[in-house]
Amino acid sequence: MSDIIKVENLVEVYSDGTKAVQDISFVVKEGEFFGFLGPNGAGKTTTIKILTTILRKTAGSVTVAGYDIQAEAQEIRKLIGVESQETAIDADLTGRENLILQGNLQQMHGEILKKRVDELLKLVELDEAADKRAAYYSGGMKKRLDLASALVHKPRLLFLDEPTTGLDPQSRATMWSYLEKLNREEGVTVFLTTQYMEEADRLANRLAILDYGRIVASGTSMELKQEIGADAISLSLEKADVINAGMKEKAKQILTTIKGVGDVRDSDGGLTVYAKNGGFIIPDIVRAFDESKIRLSSINLSSPTLDDVFLKYTGRRIRPEELKKEASSFMMFGRRR
Amino acid sequence: MSILFDTQYLFVRAMKKLLRNPILLFFSLLQPIIFLLLFTQLFSKFSQIPGFPASSYLLFATPGILLQNAFSSAFQSGMSVVEDLNSGYLQKMLTTPVSRSAILLGRLLSDAFRVVVQSLIILALAYFLGASVTTGIAGVILMFLTIAFFGLAWSGISLSLGLRTKRSETVFGIGGFLTFPLLFMSTALTPLSFMPDWMQTVSKLNPISYTVDALRALTLTGFDWATILPAYAVIGFIAVATLGATLYQFRKVIS
Repeated sequence: MSDIIKVENLVEVYSDGTKAVQDISFVVKEGEFFGFLGPNGAGKTTTIKILTTILRKTAGSVTVAGYDIQAEAQEIRKLIGVESQETAIDADLTGRENLILQGNLQQMHGEILKKRVDELLKLVELDEAADKRAAYYSGGMKKRLDLASALVHKPRLLFLDEPTTGLDPQSRATMWSYLEKLNREEGVTVFLTTQYMEEADRLANRLAILDYGRIVASGTSMELKQEIGADAISLSLEKADVINAGMKEKAKQILTTIKGVGDVRDSDGGLTVYAKNGGFIIPDIVRAFDESKIRLSSINLSSPTLDDVFLKYTGRRIRPEELKKEASSFMMFGRRR
Repeated sequence: MSILFDTQYLFVRAMKKLLRNPILLFFSLLQPIIFLLLFTQLFSKFSQIPGFPASSYLLFATPGILLQNAFSSAFQSGMSVVEDLNSGYLQKMLTTPVSRSAILLGRLLSDAFRVVVQSLIILALAYFLGASVTTGIAGVILMFLTIAFFGLAWSGISLSLGLRTKRSETVFGIGGFLTFPLLFMSTALTPLSFMPDWMQTVSKLNPISYTVDALRALTLTGFDWATILPAYAVIGFIAVATLGATLYQFRKVIS
């Protein structure tokens, strides 16, 4: 498989000095479903804006389908489809008109376009609402229309910037099944950003974890989890013991003496312990804590998740935040020279 | 030529959006119509004052009201651009191969078209009330051309403001602030000789006066090129300045 996206040492510094992307490199292969996972402000949207030719990079080299992102932007625009965070559809136009216009802007017309639009309306289940103005659509319908409008010209490469942020669980599941279908059945390469680890876990073949403009880890979801190599045991301490820093330190020390315990990390309200065969160790932990009068409020055992991977590399957990519309559009243009 | 097609697509989009907001359309047309009815009543006795240049106030004021309408329409241009910027629609267009110039051209042409249609309605109403145009059909066509050109030139102010500030409130506020002083301190509604000296000076510097005088020549006296051509020069000057600023701001946004 050939590389459809090739990014080397990409840097983006806004005019106010903010370093949104700090020297990242990665490749996406044709046909892949590639995920960018990270919290708000990690540099996901900035990267997508550079890759979709609407933001100029500060340094580094980027090619999409072999075309240079700056010199051959016009060629790239013909073969990419973009769904932005903002759900950019025209609410005054009907669903069908939105798709027709998008096709027109991609230099499609006539019967071919009409057929394609009908096909897409069916795919995203908007055929019944096709001739209603998009202003009357629900949030999920708008997102689906936006997705369809990114697909009108049958792009080889689809960019999705947080496609399910703000959607209810049911709409999110519907969106996921469309995206899987597109990638598997139609062979469209997908580049997705998300702050939801379940989303990255379920959809992406390969992913990169982003934090403060840097890629902290990358690989398949399986590989990343195997790096943790152990189950995660979350220990919540009683409130009084959480506040008492000495108590937490003491708990940590006790844990390191227990056989089989790997990494021990701070988390909110307690500690996370990584251990192979975690289930066998729990009784030892409880016993040891009991002897030292450390009060536990709960214990939770789980196989490692991408969140644990994120915690391992950044010392924090991902906290998805709902999108603030105004703030994001301000970021888009306000910060640039 | 993709720029022509793209301009056409975006022109049609703007027209659809306009027609689907009939309340906005209705009220933006209602204002000049009320002005026409109200002012021509309020100032009807002006025509009896010696030195008044027309036989009725209606005849005198119609060109002024046409320009007032063009002026306030031009300020809505910037607001639609702000809407596209904040909804992300502009950014979405920029990820397609659409001609960048067509995005601006489609906008400007739809604004010019709109102002001509509105002027047609106002002029028809004035005609019904008893106004006429000495220069006939040719004169009316030239009037519309002048108004469209005037509207285009002033659209540039609101477009560049919109692209710069990204806030429709700001564009709206500045537009509202500019309209009345510029309109009243021009020859739009009052003959120059009726104003106090200082205001005559302001009025002579006011670009609106030049355009109104040109339209008035066409309605009252005839093809008086000595009045019409300077108006084109003034509008041309404004157009270069404001559309230049728009282009500059637009380039910043799309680069």
